[in-house]
Amino acid sequence: MRFRKIKIFIPLLIFVLIGNSCKENFPVDEDGLLITDRAECYVSNFELLGSDFQTVRTKNPVIDTVAQTIDVEVFYGTDLKNLYPQFTLVTDAKLDPKITGFTDFSDLANPRVYSVISGNRKVRKPYTVRITVQQP
Amino acid sequence: MNRNIKYNGLLSCIGVWALLFLFTACDEKEYAIPAAKTELQNDVIKRSLGPNVAGLDIEFAYAMALGYGKGKITRATVEASIPGAPGTYMDHRSYHTNSSGIDVGIEVGMPSATEGGRTTVNFTADTAAATLRYFYIIPEEAKGKSVTFTFSAEASTGEKVSYSMGPYEIAKMDMKRLLTVVDSSACYISIADMAVLTPEQAAANPQKVDLIYLYRNVPNIMFNHSMVSPTTNAEYLRGAVIPSGASNNTKIRKEWNVRDRHLADLQFGIYVDDLDFEKLDVSQAPNYALNLRAESGAWVETADGKYRAYIYINSVNNNNKSAVISMKRYAL
Repeated sequence: MRFRKIKIFIPLLIFVLIGNSCKENFPVDEDGLLITDRAECYVSNFELLGSDFQTVRTKNPVIDTVAQTIDVEVFYGTDLKNLYPQFTLVTDAKLDPKITGFTDFSDLANPRVYSVISGNRKVRKPYTVRITVQQP
Repeated sequence: MNRNIKYNGLLSCIGVWALLFLFTACDEKEYAIPAAKTELQNDVIKRSLGPNVAGLDIEFAYAMALGYGKGKITRATVEASIPGAPGTYMDHRSYHTNSSGIDVGIEVGMPSATEGGRTTVNFTADTAAATLRYFYIIPEEAKGKSVTFTFSAEASTGEKVSYSMGPYEIAKMDMKRLLTVVDSSACYISIADMAVLTPEQAAANPQKVDLIYLYRNVPNIMFNHSMVSPTTNAEYLRGAVIPSGASNNTKIRKEWNVRDRHLADLQFGIYVDDLDFEKLDVSQAPNYALNLRAESGAWVETADGKYRAYIYINSVNNNNKSAVISMKRYAL
């Protein structure tokens, strides 16, 4: 009799455990990233690498969080068609479009725009990356 | 009731087995030093690393031993499936490493004799154990093929043993080391010839000029040691003389941290191999590379699409306006 009770109890316990395990406690966005309460939305640092994964900046970038611009001067002769941008963002924020590899920045008249999306996913700020080439 | 009896029986059985395992698990056996084998034995290790490039060697250490007092080793032979290039030999010294970590060689036989792919050392010393080193110089005809080795030893007891090694793939690429390029003189680089051409040679063979080396100390910018293709923008040529008829639009991409061990005089631990050239895509690369530093490099593809190369900068000299470069080249 006792054995029969155990036989019923164990599968029941397993079902309860499985049912509970998939319960979501925190909201996530379409990328599977946690949506938090943070509304801050800015770029804190910016790096630009060449095809050899070495920096092509001649000096620190100027990031204007009010005008939402990033001004970078690159070395003379930098291959602007193959640059790897790296953004450092405020906590929980994300970037759109995502950086997936080397990017063409050669169209200096039409600078690239990247948007920063806040941790609560409610604030979106476009940052324009303006590149100038060092001249002799 | 019946089910309870079966259940109890099962529990008892498990208990008995558990007890049995517990008692047998702690049974200790006295260790005895295994008796050494006395018949002729052999073993081989490959000492060289990295891709096998024609002109370089593949090094092995061949160890052979016979029981003490049973006899002596009379001969060691290596047979390569593709005969090695001149210079292939087996060292007639047996090496051991002393307490200071230095390899000490003791002569055990006559200098090796190589005939075709077969290299032999005939022993003169009365020894029952030896470790000989074999250096196989990779021949040009082995490029893109695989090579195997059969090591064998003979003893005075009549015993013979052998050991097979390989197959080892031989790289298709070529290598040329330590070419000096000098601004405005020996500055024309030909990938097809793997050579640096003088202005006279470049003028005679303008189609062979793939890159031009130049050094410029330009205020406010980092130009320094650069390599440009003859068709690059004038602003990157900086007054370099282009031989009449030189029109190759060579693609070149700067690289850092690819310090090939072969090219860097056995420093560092990175090797550029055939696969790197096969997967290389420099179609979007520019036709110039500025400010090349020592220990950096550049991937190159010739305008006719026949060759891909990796040029390594061994050293640069600002005063002499020169650099020493080495290259690996892969024919497509």
